[in-house]
Amino acid sequence: MAVHTLTRRSAVLGGSAGIGALGLAGCVSPTSDRATGADRRGSSRALAPDGSSLEGTEISILDDNTNSVFKNGLIQRFQDQTGIVVKNYEMANFNDLHDRFATSFAAQDSSVDVVMTWAGWSAEFGQAGWLQELAPEAIPQDLIRPALDAVSWDGSVYGLPKFASVQTMFWNRGHFADAGLEPDAAPQSWDEFVTAAKAVTTDDRYGFCCDMGNPAGAYQNFLRALLLAGGELYDKDWTPKLDSEAAVEGLTKMVELLQVHKVMDPSSLQITNASDLIDVFAKGNTSIVFNWPFQWASAVAKGAETTAQTTGNALIPGISVRSASIDGSEGYAISTFSSNKQAALRWLQFAAGAEAQTRIVDDEGWFPVSKTVLDAPETTKTLPVVTSYKESTDYVTKRYGTPWSNELDQLLSAHVFAAMSQKEKPSDALKAAQRELLPVVEKYLG
Amino acid sequence: MAHARLTAAERGDRRFAVLASAPAVLTIAALFIYPLLYAVLLSLYQLNDKMPKATKYVGLGNYAQLLSDPDFTDALVRTLVFCLFTVLGGVAIAVGIAVLLQPAFRGRNLARVLLLVPWAVPPVVNGIMWKLVFDGSYGVANAVLRELGIIDHPIQWLADPTLTMGVLIMSEIWKLTPFLALMTIASMQAIPSNIYRAAEIDGAGPWSRFWRVTLPNLRGTIMFLLIVQSMWSIKVFDTIYVLTGGSGGPAKATTTLNFQAYLTTFSYLDRGYGAAQSISIMVIVIVVTLLWVLILGRKGKAAS
Repeated sequence: MAVHTLTRRSAVLGGSAGIGALGLAGCVSPTSDRATGADRRGSSRALAPDGSSLEGTEISILDDNTNSVFKNGLIQRFQDQTGIVVKNYEMANFNDLHDRFATSFAAQDSSVDVVMTWAGWSAEFGQAGWLQELAPEAIPQDLIRPALDAVSWDGSVYGLPKFASVQTMFWNRGHFADAGLEPDAAPQSWDEFVTAAKAVTTDDRYGFCCDMGNPAGAYQNFLRALLLAGGELYDKDWTPKLDSEAAVEGLTKMVELLQVHKVMDPSSLQITNASDLIDVFAKGNTSIVFNWPFQWASAVAKGAETTAQTTGNALIPGISVRSASIDGSEGYAISTFSSNKQAALRWLQFAAGAEAQTRIVDDEGWFPVSKTVLDAPETTKTLPVVTSYKESTDYVTKRYGTPWSNELDQLLSAHVFAAMSQKEKPSDALKAAQRELLPVVEKYLG
Repeated sequence: MAHARLTAAERGDRRFAVLASAPAVLTIAALFIYPLLYAVLLSLYQLNDKMPKATKYVGLGNYAQLLSDPDFTDALVRTLVFCLFTVLGGVAIAVGIAVLLQPAFRGRNLARVLLLVPWAVPPVVNGIMWKLVFDGSYGVANAVLRELGIIDHPIQWLADPTLTMGVLIMSEIWKLTPFLALMTIASMQAIPSNIYRAAEIDGAGPWSRFWRVTLPNLRGTIMFLLIVQSMWSIKVFDTIYVLTGGSGGPAKATTTLNFQAYLTTFSYLDRGYGAAQSISIMVIVIVVTLLWVLILGRKGKAAS
């Protein structure tokens, strides 16, 4: 039988190993400047252009895969104009980007200078101190307000928008005509919308389809219904109003589409992004969708079942108000860990400038962030949905990007889903969601 | 007990052994021990990246919070359900497949090779494949069921919490059972054939031979399979991520413990609490492993 005794040598070895391991673990305290990145963020002042020469400076950009215009010519134009070299431009799936950014920022990675952002991430990463705040001198004067809101949080601007986006209604005129409806007459109210959706629902397809298959989608569809019912998600102090009358009415109307009127495609509960919804409409598999402006470009693209003639576009019909919508504008922000902030700022300004904006409208069908480009007659000619966009500015358009957006999406989606599948009454579901959200908001706002 | 004195050559050998193993030890320390200890350290802090100024030492506060956190306890229950089917079901199916592929028959080698195909498929591809099969609008599953006249309207497999969990369980069993079956086959080949012959002479039928000869001889292998499958099942992540579009839905139906830890750490940026969840998962894995060793190890000793 082997007998192990504690010798001086084993004690020294064991002790050394223990001390070494603890030393390793303790060398970066979670509260130290090194761990929080405070020592690498440089000045906390807002970034303004300093007029320095940037010839030959290299930047790296991590973007989502929404815009291909940058890769297809705009990067070259930027390099020619500024002398800055875009060393790396990577496009990734939107759904994968949040975690990539979070990991990169938490690791204080300085290899990425510019990141794509939207309202939720601007608030979340901005509050974390991971995005560089911009000074007023860095912000172009002719930006559209909702687009600028998408890169702002709590009074600070953390980036510049690259395109504006608001959901509007798209309908298939051919399906309307086949159902005996006036093809050019857009439903003006929720009741008219339900009547039309019922008329165009056949054995082969549902009249309406949406994308609420993941938490973000469930939140967006709920928020839109809430706004259409005349409600607000928060009061002026950011106290949530998930269980308000308008919220319950909005969710009830969504449930009715699926369970009572049976006009909502049940696959809506598993469609996880707007691109898939676009395909459903463009293939003629549904008749009405509420979607982002790039639905138009896909609906009229070569190979689509729909065309410019058969695709109608108008405001989303309201429940208690004439209309309302949600914002989906995107932009670029600068990592606080970047060592090339001036060059990165030039990229942000280039993307928000007239040349890039015109290409984004012409080639991809997104709304411009510049008032000058929006008001140009060519823009409406190229992109007919701009007319609806301009009309939508008369009505409420919100997104409520907050640092707690992800927590809200997760907890709300479970209850919205339970309501949609009639496992909970909308009022009970929203009461429960409100109960769960209150401590989350309190945690962040103190 | 007196230690024999080492000769100079032996001391030289030992020094060489320490030197030779040092790179591996240091690598393991850097890649395994350091992150592990750092995770333990993080778990003792309130550290949410969205509230950098609120970072503070909370001791075991994060662990205490776990006990009253419905998201964590619900995820624990879901993990238990998932494990019940994938561990017990997976090992049972593996033993069944091994029994079928044990006797000599034409094409046995080909069948054994084909058995490995699902295991060779990368987990992400596995998830995408099952997502396509069970897509509510364009999926193969609905098409087949409609062709057979079993359903009139497509089933939204991935929009129903129970069905989605079923799809997840099936895809995990499909992916991992081949490995378990292969291990079982290898172990069955080590059972001396004369035991089966003796049993046959004694009048034991196929079922009796399986129950009284095969299974007892597979006890050690089955214990190993139960342990590794339990570890994999508790730590399941990639298939859930792909199958549910990174959400763990619908309605949190597939948010298991590991996925909950991922959401907390990467979606909510709550690294302190996420670390506490991860350490708890590690503890659960160790406890489950010990449990299997206690249950099957003791029975093995009693039998011997």
